[in-house]
Amino acid sequence: MPKCTINGKEVEVKEGTSIIEAMQQSGDRIAHYCWHPGLSVAGVCRLCMVEIEGNPRVQIACNTMVTEGMKINNTSEKVKDAVKWGLDFHLINHPLDCPICDQAGECGLQDQYMEYGKYDPEMAEHKQKKHKVVDLGPTVVLDSERCILCSRCVRFTEEVSKTNELGLFNRGDRTEIGTHDGMPLDNKYSLNTVDICPVGALTSKDFRFRQRVWYLKDAETVCNGCSTGCNVKVYYNKEGFFRVKPAYNEQVNGHWMCDEGRDIYKFVNKEHRLAKGMIRQGGTWKEVHGGAAAKAAAEVVKASAGDSLALVLTAQYTVEEFEAIVGTFVNEFKTKKVFFWINNKESFDSFDGLLLRGDKNPNTKGLLKVLEKHGITATWNDLSAGLANGSIKTVVVAGPENMAAFPDFAERVKELSKAQNIVWMQATKHEALTNLPGNVWLIPVKTFVEKDGTFINHAGLEQKFKKATTIVSEALTLTEAALLLAGKNLAIPASGNEFKPMNQRADQVELEARKKNEFVFRRGSL
Amino acid sequence: MAEIKVLTEHYHLPEYQTLAGYKAKGGYETLPKALKMQPQAIIDEVKASGLRGRGGAGFPTGMKWGFLPKNGEPRYLLCNADEGEPGTFKDRMMMERAPHQLIEGMIISAFAIGSHKGYIYVRGEYVYPIEVLNKAIKEAYDAGLLGKNIMGTGFDFDLDVYRGAGAYICGEETGMISSLEGLKGQPKLKPPFPAVQGYLRKPTIVNNVETLAAVTYIIKDGAQAYRKHGTEKSAGTKLFSVSGNVVKPGNYEVPLGYPLIDLINKECGGMKPGRKLKAIIPGGSSAPVLTAEEVGKANLDYESLAGLGTMLGSGAVIVMDDSQCMVDMLGVLTHFYAHESCGQCTPCREGTGWLNKILHSILEGRGRLQDIDLLIKVADNMKGKTICALSDAAALPVLSFVTKFRDEFEFYVREGRSKVKGTTYAEMHH
Repeated sequence: MPKCTINGKEVEVKEGTSIIEAMQQSGDRIAHYCWHPGLSVAGVCRLCMVEIEGNPRVQIACNTMVTEGMKINNTSEKVKDAVKWGLDFHLINHPLDCPICDQAGECGLQDQYMEYGKYDPEMAEHKQKKHKVVDLGPTVVLDSERCILCSRCVRFTEEVSKTNELGLFNRGDRTEIGTHDGMPLDNKYSLNTVDICPVGALTSKDFRFRQRVWYLKDAETVCNGCSTGCNVKVYYNKEGFFRVKPAYNEQVNGHWMCDEGRDIYKFVNKEHRLAKGMIRQGGTWKEVHGGAAAKAAAEVVKASAGDSLALVLTAQYTVEEFEAIVGTFVNEFKTKKVFFWINNKESFDSFDGLLLRGDKNPNTKGLLKVLEKHGITATWNDLSAGLANGSIKTVVVAGPENMAAFPDFAERVKELSKAQNIVWMQATKHEALTNLPGNVWLIPVKTFVEKDGTFINHAGLEQKFKKATTIVSEALTLTEAALLLAGKNLAIPASGNEFKPMNQRADQVELEARKKNEFVFRRGSL
Repeated sequence: MAEIKVLTEHYHLPEYQTLAGYKAKGGYETLPKALKMQPQAIIDEVKASGLRGRGGAGFPTGMKWGFLPKNGEPRYLLCNADEGEPGTFKDRMMMERAPHQLIEGMIISAFAIGSHKGYIYVRGEYVYPIEVLNKAIKEAYDAGLLGKNIMGTGFDFDLDVYRGAGAYICGEETGMISSLEGLKGQPKLKPPFPAVQGYLRKPTIVNNVETLAAVTYIIKDGAQAYRKHGTEKSAGTKLFSVSGNVVKPGNYEVPLGYPLIDLINKECGGMKPGRKLKAIIPGGSSAPVLTAEEVGKANLDYESLAGLGTMLGSGAVIVMDDSQCMVDMLGVLTHFYAHESCGQCTPCREGTGWLNKILHSILEGRGRLQDIDLLIKVADNMKGKTICALSDAAALPVLSFVTKFRDEFEFYVREGRSKVKGTTYAEMHH
């Protein structure tokens, strides 16, 4: 365990740690573009300069290992000057189009210029012209003039996705990123290149020009796209969710996530959601408050309590919700007819070797755990039989959030429609539901970004996440729905934020308040 | 003192190109002797000879070989015949006139470092030398000098020619390794150094043509005989490629430490009639330029030239007389480096282009006086900041030209025309 001194502070690091890693550990700031903790060292941006005692020349921190007793400094005038010039070389040919650039507000060049630059530019020559709006593939667009050739994206396709679509072409200041002939950037992880691009060179076709980043807030949660359970950041404001990016978790997803997972924000937004409760008894649909729909359904559920009542669950809800609703059915309604709605059974165990899993539910393990705890052994065949012979009269269903993962949705709805009474809890709208015959109670429920809870991933790792925001205010969690169905009232949850510490300075209080403001954007590290 | 022909003794004989002609002059007589020696003894002999890399950096060859890990890993011997440094043309002559000299040197060197596979990386433009080398390698294979069980000693060594595609940067050893691996010719980050992890991530030694050819003579006559020529720290003889405004340009083999002015006046027959010496670039285009006054003090060895702030480099002596416009000359160099920068490291990629643009602004009459200082500032900040030395190579000529001939640059900016020639850039070149 070598000990070194960084800017006067003594730091102990693991053997084989580079200076830049040591500086990240010690919390010292260091300018860099090409270095990324999830990729190999390229050493090309030449920005992470440090001065090492006994060495007359400044060194790059990313390719220099810490040795015992090393004295490292990156605040000296010599280093500052080197970084300033490093930035200047990056900027001389970079277009000054920040106002129309999608990266503005989360751009590495802007950030580092404000921190290390702020000089008068001396470049009086014509800037280098390169290709603009290059269509790299189905997901990503390239602007070569903005590119600083850090080669992060190239290394990503070489080392992580192992698809090798990207390369550096031409030489000198004519160098450009590009795809090899006949190989568009088309892989299941392509959008990670946009995340790691420190500038506005690579932009996502899905997100670009839809929202300025300073109008977005972010919150960490767990992706509900498959059983891997990647940690993600969702970006949202009053208008809804706009994008999903990976959040680092060494145990689960490292620095990356798949492109499929980036679509999970879409069904969360208002236009796809069931906004109100709906009831149809006999004739026409009646729109009611979400809670009222659940209360209304309580009567019919109670009436069929016992053997003619069944509960169908998809593995798309949290452990806490499963616990509440299964508990209610087993204890209050005295039925063990709880069924696990399994989608795409054939591909359940498939895995692409990096992150994508065939089980497109975030919480299969969680559901199985709860079912086992309550000793439930019923299979789908029992349900089919019960529906066919009419012994099951009322079915309560917690439908899928992510419809894309349930290709057989309409088919299953048809099968379940044999029951006399259907209480359907669902986050997203679907034609098949409004076309249901018989007596139907549609209850809007919350999506994973609107509630606190736990998912258990494929490896049995319990991951807790917190609510980001509310999209549909009338939507219920399954826990709330279970209470209402059992004829109980909702308890007002105790707020954890009532206590305000008295020893905070005024500016700290103000900062807390500002953080809550819609327009203040807390940015992650580059 | 005059030329001392150690390597080039028989270069005038056309048959020296062939195996028979080479053998007739004592070729391949050192090889069996070397193959009977202990490999370490060869390395020690080369160390003792004081042989330094003839490609440009002048790194002691024996020491470089000593960096190889002492294990059974396969290792490679690469011959750098990319010869891209503007002004250099000695390797070309060596390969054309005496291919077997290089092959013999490579077999001995490979035996010393324990390598069984070698490549000669030749620049793509050298069509004829490649042809000659291929023919010579075939002859050597047929004679049992290459391949399995060389001369019955049990030592195996395979040798191939690899043709480059015309990039200056592939003359940098790690750039050359990248190119040889089939990748884009870009230098690799060091550490790890090639001796530890080079070609195909295996220990690799890269030596220049002249260096490898010299190994034979060191083994033949011993280190002490080799040290007879040259100076204490710069031992042996070296080929110098003289070009420019002299009467007899060409390759000359002189002992290191030889006075530069003698090389011009005696060997090359002096300046062209009626012209006066103005400046000399002593070690290829990357070396800082020397003024006529400095030339008088310069000896052709590593230390003397370093003392004058320049370097011996590849031994390409570019001579300029008083009819040359230094602004125009520098324009040629900055264009070259902007064209050849591999584009990997930011200071070099952007800096070489920037320098070239500033210089051409000046040449085309758009220059500003502050541009002269800006040239110095930009060049200063490109130095020592990148993976390989191309950035330095581009910066050093700019720094030396601008500081030593500043008056010409200032005149050009003020008047929009050359001080020496009196004409504008367009008039000079069309």
